[in-house]
Amino acid sequence: MAMDNVTVETLVDWLARFDSAVTEQRDYLTELDSAIGDADHGANMARGMTAVMESIGAVHPGTVGELLKTVGMTLVSSVGGASGPLYGTFFLRMGIASGSVTELAAPDLERALRAGLEGVVQRGKAELGDKTMYDTFFPALEAYAAAVAAGSDAGPAIEAAARAAEEGRDATGPMIARKGRASYLGERSIGHLDPGATSAAMLLSTLAIAIAR
Amino acid sequence: MDLALEMVHGERPLIALAAGTADGRIGTDPIRVSEAVIEVASPDGVLVFMDLGSAVLSAELALEVLGDPGFEVRLTSAPFVEGILAAIVSAAYGADLDRVQREASGALLAKRMHLGEEIGDPGSPEAGPVGLASSAEIHADVQLLNRDGLHARPAAMIMAALTGLDAVLRVQRRDAAEAALEVTGPTALMAVGGRQGDHLRFAAAGPDAEVALQRVGQLVADGFGESTVQACELAADANGSAFGVSPGRVAGRVVRMVAPASAPSVEGTLPDLIRPGEAARIDSAALAVAEELQARAGMSTATAGEILGATAEIARDVGLLGKAKDLVLSAGRSAERAVWEAYDSLAADLRARGGLAAERAADVIDVRDRIVANLEGRTAQGLPDEDEPYVLVAEDLSPADTALLDPTRCLALVTEQGGPTSHTAILARSLGIPAVVAAAGVWSAPLGAVLLVDGTSGELIWDPDEASLAELAERPGVAAFSGRGATADDRPMPLLANVGSGEDARRAAVGRAEGVGLFRTEFCFLDRLDAPTVEEQVEAYREVLAAFSGRRVVIRTLDAGSDKPLSFVGQVEEANPALGVRGYRTSVTRPQLLDTQLLAIAKAAALESADVNVMAPMITTVEEAAAFVSRCHDHGIAKAGVMIETPAAALLADRLLPIVDFVSIGTNDLTQYVMAADRLVGSLASLNDPWQPAVLRLIERVGQAGQAAGVPVGVCGEAAANPHLAVVLTGLGVTSLSMTSRAIPAVADQLSRVDQGCCRAAARAAVAAATANQARSQVGGILGYANGGSSSSQQLAPYSAIVGARSASC
Repeated sequence: MAMDNVTVETLVDWLARFDSAVTEQRDYLTELDSAIGDADHGANMARGMTAVMESIGAVHPGTVGELLKTVGMTLVSSVGGASGPLYGTFFLRMGIASGSVTELAAPDLERALRAGLEGVVQRGKAELGDKTMYDTFFPALEAYAAAVAAGSDAGPAIEAAARAAEEGRDATGPMIARKGRASYLGERSIGHLDPGATSAAMLLSTLAIAIAR
Repeated sequence: MDLALEMVHGERPLIALAAGTADGRIGTDPIRVSEAVIEVASPDGVLVFMDLGSAVLSAELALEVLGDPGFEVRLTSAPFVEGILAAIVSAAYGADLDRVQREASGALLAKRMHLGEEIGDPGSPEAGPVGLASSAEIHADVQLLNRDGLHARPAAMIMAALTGLDAVLRVQRRDAAEAALEVTGPTALMAVGGRQGDHLRFAAAGPDAEVALQRVGQLVADGFGESTVQACELAADANGSAFGVSPGRVAGRVVRMVAPASAPSVEGTLPDLIRPGEAARIDSAALAVAEELQARAGMSTATAGEILGATAEIARDVGLLGKAKDLVLSAGRSAERAVWEAYDSLAADLRARGGLAAERAADVIDVRDRIVANLEGRTAQGLPDEDEPYVLVAEDLSPADTALLDPTRCLALVTEQGGPTSHTAILARSLGIPAVVAAAGVWSAPLGAVLLVDGTSGELIWDPDEASLAELAERPGVAAFSGRGATADDRPMPLLANVGSGEDARRAAVGRAEGVGLFRTEFCFLDRLDAPTVEEQVEAYREVLAAFSGRRVVIRTLDAGSDKPLSFVGQVEEANPALGVRGYRTSVTRPQLLDTQLLAIAKAAALESADVNVMAPMITTVEEAAAFVSRCHDHGIAKAGVMIETPAAALLADRLLPIVDFVSIGTNDLTQYVMAADRLVGSLASLNDPWQPAVLRLIERVGQAGQAAGVPVGVCGEAAANPHLAVVLTGLGVTSLSMTSRAIPAVADQLSRVDQGCCRAAARAAVAAATANQARSQVGGILGYANGGSSSSQQLAPYSAIVGARSASC
């Protein structure tokens, strides 16, 4: 069903929406990060995504692979904090897995997301319940895969993924941080949403909106 | 990294730093890390160090970006600072990648052993404790001669000496129970922690064992090319008893005071004929010295001027000069020798009388040396003639010399003698020169050595390391005073100036002092045969009041006594002047003097618009306080208070404060009376220390009484000028601080960094301490944390560094 495939334009729209989201929510993300981290997540993500939109504008990537690899490389060298290598790896791996195509069908997107997530796990060594972005990504990908397996198109599947991502994000509140600087706080990290998990949920919800249009 | 590089000679390993992001912010950029690896590419491999957080992830990602660069790239969890240091040194001396990584990983060993932690897993299996020397080994016992012992640089030199030898070396301290450590790298040597004078046993095994021991023995015998003077001991002694008396932390090259004159020859007797001419030389030389001192007095601050003026008088002493001339005329001595003998016998006399008289002996000797130098056609001994900035080290400094110090060239002052309230200390503070006194052994310091001086803590560091100097350079300068003292949480703490003249007051006003907390009026009375008239006094007071229109000015009535003799007060000589008729007590014997002064103050106050407060020195009883206050009120002076300088007044604070309008604690006298230690006796400096908990407890008592009665409690002693003590005083309930105006910026800066909770914590710690040193160090600890806290987050900037491990051909 070609009309439901995810095109390069859709992905660019997604990135623009994610850019707006992290820019608008910069203070909120920073506030979350100031509770359990070093209070730079909002500024880092906003800066990174602004750089991403500039790169895309300059390069005009023609394929999904080219686009996502550009995003990854840009994030890696512009974010600064730990989210740079993590999100950078996520997009790089997504791009490599997608290859030189101009659109992704629902299973292609699943493969790309899975490759990206595997990169994040490899990089961050996080497990479920460590209070990281993985706690958002993992249930989202599970929901997406389950929907696609049940015959869903990319649109409804990513909507399910975005809902699961939000639940995953909310679940990080009561967790004890076990990774990153927040882990130094131990039990004192309880009661705060993880900033990375929060921005990851924004990543999926903006993808859902972009695909729905 | 610079430190490590300094330790290696010859070919250095390639090093690249990948810190910050592409646009210069804090953080790490994996791309930059991968570029850095390529920059130091080596077939021997590259070792990557990283600190925490994103640095780890960036380094891993960099490896992924690099793919296969054609040489081995390793990431190591070795400690960032110690590890890099160890790696650079071992790489420079030819270790391979494995060895470099092992050295780096074991780099905490020295620190762990120093701190007495269990060495369960030293991270460097080869460097772990091994058994005592086996039979196949030969050994050599050596004693460390160099001043700093087996520190990083000597350790690196030993490693270099061992390069290329087929020998296994072990080392142990002969006096310690620890087993021998295998010398796998400089960290093992440093872990031994040998100091100057320590006996070490080096054991070696293998074909080149003998050569290895020979080379090590030679290095040790040469003191590793370092100075072998007994400086460790000196520094330890100096730090043991030294007192910081004028705040500031600086480092500089040591310059000694030019040595004092030696005794002129006693040989020969002058022919009768030329004796009168020779005697006349004495008069002209003495006159020249007196005029020089008087001229300096005129150029100096009021404090210095007073002291210099008194010294000039010694050069004009007719009786003394007559005695010297007599020695020429009747005994045929040379003029130089005659002056030497006459002044010396007076000095000996004064010393024999002890106490305050003995303190004056130094001034007599100073004048003697100046006149003799003049006679010999030399410039007077004393301050070195140096253009480059220096740290001045002296046995003691005469007031004349101290007053002449140029703060732009003399970075700091360190003396063997003296106490916190000695003339030297007071003058150094008024000049804003950091100073440490009672630093035993400092006079024999090696010339040209670099000395770091902390005039707040009294800390002295000989030949400070790069890190200490760098920290010094980074220490932000104290900002100019904003004109409003307050704690970080904005509790106002008025910072006032101690002044002695209109000139002082104008200078303090330029420095934005919030008022005058102590106007010493005795300066108007000095050098006079009769009491100044009301008009003269009004004139002098108006000058000070005019400088602080609308501001608070606390005038202290005449504080005379036989330690500060005024000819017209007509005092008798006392055995214990500090316990005699002084301060307010003179108004009992000379009531007219006080009434005249109060009249003059009231007139001056009416002609100016300052907020005039008047207080009396040396109050001991409630009756005295009540009498003084009512006399002030009778003269129309609305705000009348007293100084709290005696233990009696402090102990009765709850009874005394309700009957006065304010009090001001004079910590110098309070300390000398509480501690029963004459503040002018240098050897009692450790007692004469406002950090003494007994003194602080009395101040606490006064602070509490002030809060209960709603009466302001100021401090106008030297304690207020010490930034750390200022925090303690604030926590003890003091409501204003008065000090030499130069000290205000440093005190304001310190107060602005602490909130009231921190002040109270510092006060509690100081009052609870058992000793002055404990109080000082505990408060130093609290404030070190508070001061460092704000900047520590910036220091956590994650960054990575790359160390290229290369074979070196040395």
